[in-house]
Amino acid sequence: MTALLEVEGLKKHFPIHKGVFSKVSGQVYAVDGVSFSIGRGETLGLVGESGCGKSTVGRTLLKLLEPTDGTIKVGGEDITGLGAQAMLPYRRRMQMIYQDPYASLNPRMTAGEIVGEPLIVHNIGTPAERRERVAGLFERAGLRPEAANSYPHEFSGGQRQRIGIARALALNPELIVGDEPVSALDVSIQAQIINLLMELQDEFQLSYLFVAHDLAVVEHISHRVAVMYLGRIVEMTDKRSLFEMPLHPYTEALLSAVPIPKSSARGRKRVILTGDVPSPINPPPGCHFHARCPYAMPRCKTDVPALREVIPGHFASCHLHDGGVKVPLGAAA
Amino acid sequence: MNPRQPAPRVMNGTAPESPIESAQTVLQIEDLQTHFFTPVGVVRAVDGVSYALKSGETLGVVGESGCGKSVSALSILRLVANPPGRIVGGAIRFEGRNLLEFSEPEMERIRGNDISMIFQEPMTSLNPLYTCGKQIAEAVALHQGLSKRDSWDRAVEMLRSVSIPEPERRAHAYPHQLSGGMRQRVMIAMALSCNPKVLIADEPTTALDVTIQAQILDLMRALQDKYGTAIILITHDMGVVAENADRVVVMYAGRKVEEANAAELFDNPGHPYTKGLLGSIPHLDTAARTDTKRAKLNEIKGMVPSLFNLPQGCSFAPRCGLASDHCRNHKPPLEEQRPGHWIACWHADRVLGGVAVGAA
Ligand SMILES: Nc1ncnc2c1ncn2[C@@H]1O[C@H](COP(=O)(O)OP(=O)(O)OP(=O)(O)O)[C@@H](O)[C@H]1O
Ligand SMILES: Nc1ncnc2c1ncn2[C@@H]1O[C@H](COP(=O)(O)OP(=O)(O)OP(=O)(O)O)[C@@H](O)[C@H]1O
Ligand code: SF4
Ligand SMILES: [Mg+2]
Ligand SMILES: [Mg+2]
Repeated sequence: MTALLEVEGLKKHFPIHKGVFSKVSGQVYAVDGVSFSIGRGETLGLVGESGCGKSTVGRTLLKLLEPTDGTIKVGGEDITGLGAQAMLPYRRRMQMIYQDPYASLNPRMTAGEIVGEPLIVHNIGTPAERRERVAGLFERAGLRPEAANSYPHEFSGGQRQRIGIARALALNPELIVGDEPVSALDVSIQAQIINLLMELQDEFQLSYLFVAHDLAVVEHISHRVAVMYLGRIVEMTDKRSLFEMPLHPYTEALLSAVPIPKSSARGRKRVILTGDVPSPINPPPGCHFHARCPYAMPRCKTDVPALREVIPGHFASCHLHDGGVKVPLGAAA
Repeated sequence: MNPRQPAPRVMNGTAPESPIESAQTVLQIEDLQTHFFTPVGVVRAVDGVSYALKSGETLGVVGESGCGKSVSALSILRLVANPPGRIVGGAIRFEGRNLLEFSEPEMERIRGNDISMIFQEPMTSLNPLYTCGKQIAEAVALHQGLSKRDSWDRAVEMLRSVSIPEPERRAHAYPHQLSGGMRQRVMIAMALSCNPKVLIADEPTTALDVTIQAQILDLMRALQDKYGTAIILITHDMGVVAENADRVVVMYAGRKVEEANAAELFDNPGHPYTKGLLGSIPHLDTAARTDTKRAKLNEIKGMVPSLFNLPQGCSFAPRCGLASDHCRNHKPPLEEQRPGHWIACWHADRVLGGVAVGAA
């Protein structure tokens, strides 16, 4: 697979101001050195703790936010420094499905206008062709045709999410950053949308960066998965290795906290991680996870573990594997 | 305000002598109808829904996107925008009194105090112009009469309880400076800050990873155990329903089509829609991994009917593999097919008997 997207050392820091006019009093290290690539026709799943920087990665690589540092290449071309005008052709190739559909849909436009807008912006088709395209997109996203005339507030949460999905598909993009694209949908419609995304991918070699909290969904749609923790990728590999042999303690905790949709799950306790969630304003020294890690060793408090290829194709940043791969993670030294 | 005894949690959902049976009903919704009057017609978003809630109990509400879960929840607090929305029928009894007969100032005292709500989309209810700490502090000051200083401290403490790191600093952040899941947790903090008798949680954990989700659900349970809070848990996450709900209501196209104790619902779904829904859940299993080609997920084919124009008979008939002419022409009544298990389907006995409900 040739890489469509290559991200190298990406950083995004947000300044914190104390009061409206006063000086910068600190930084939120939202994304702090993230590297990955996505091939044509490939889905990279991105998971991690709430607030760890997933949405910021998505928005920065589409240059909806200016990166603080690092490079972003699309089809081998460096787009990191491009201005708005030069970005235009890339905008057409890369689309985003936003996490918060309510905040990302213009309340004064009808659903039909919202989905058709990218076609107008990029000057595609005649009005009649555009109407037809919009109707087709509505159908594929599971929206009723008459819904085209309604405004965003007239839809349910899940219906609004589908408007966002239809809009992202309008331009036949090459890369879609889906930020929790199916979390507002019931499981049946979720299945329809995931099946649709997989079909489109197989047909047009689409690439996805798929951010989600539902690990079953991630497992289903992804080829590879990256796990983030406090601004950094801590593990990345093909999905099979990740789910069968997680090499980072955070990934292990995440996998064992998945809720089970069965009657026997009643009253199950699954709080695995205790301890304070570390802050991206004051990231802890050493391994970001050390205060909550059940296996933490003295060196974890001081030395940053590098993300390295512990097993061919399987990257992890954890000192447990410094002297060779250690599985299971809790095994005696 | 009488402190009610919290009902003990039932660990085995099949226990016949559930102690919850004896707890007192706090909220009862009777034949609720909420419609939207739009230029192109009347949307029957909620079309005759009833359910009851006892203190200390968690009622799960599930159903197809757009079936009226949020609108029925908003109706309880009388927050449906009018126009175009209007509650055209039914009653909402809170501790025996019909909220639909309350004046607006009386309702104001109920909201956020006796009954609070975690809204599905945080940005619809957070004010972008105020810091998160200020919004929580104001709610606390309003309902609990704390001083400015104390309510700010309480806000910070609430932010800490929902696992926001460095809450003292983050309390000064505006909503847009937080991640999706952090915004959701700010709203949860606000809803929990006044120890409500009824908590309506509309998709409270969609933006949270599973470890923080587990902590938040634990927090809600602790509140429930301490104050006997009754919880309406609206969610698409069937795992969350299985772990937390005592009973489950399944909605389809503005109506309740099934209600049962949670274990019964998962083990013996009696409505073809429920069965299809459970069959669409993606499971974390090796099947998806070992296949080099990604398998298609099961889905229920077709689309929900237009709420302008509901079919004459069963609303699910156009998508149901068991639909007969009788189904297409007559609305199935909600009937108690087994003790405590209510189903609106002409063929419920066959579904309970295990017949396949393949797509139409
Ligand atoms: N505009 C901003 N100004 C300041 N801080 C910000 C801004 N946007 C995001 N952040 C901070 O950056 C961090 C990462 O946020 P991000 O939205 O990327 O998280 P996320 O992984 O998508 O989380 P979630 O799963 O909850 O959506 C958070 O601590 C957030 O508060
Ligand atoms: N202001 C409005 N005008 C017209 N129709 C509306 C309005 N608000 C909601 N509706 C309709 O009412 C129906 C029920 O919406 P509701 O938000 O209750 O769905 P839901 O079950 O919560 O779905 P989801 O799971 O997607 O959140 C939807 O079909 C929606 O289109
Ligand atoms: S580096 Fe140390 S603290 Fe970090 S995850 Fe590995 S064992 Fe735990
Ligand atoms: Mg996010
Ligand atoms: Mg809803």
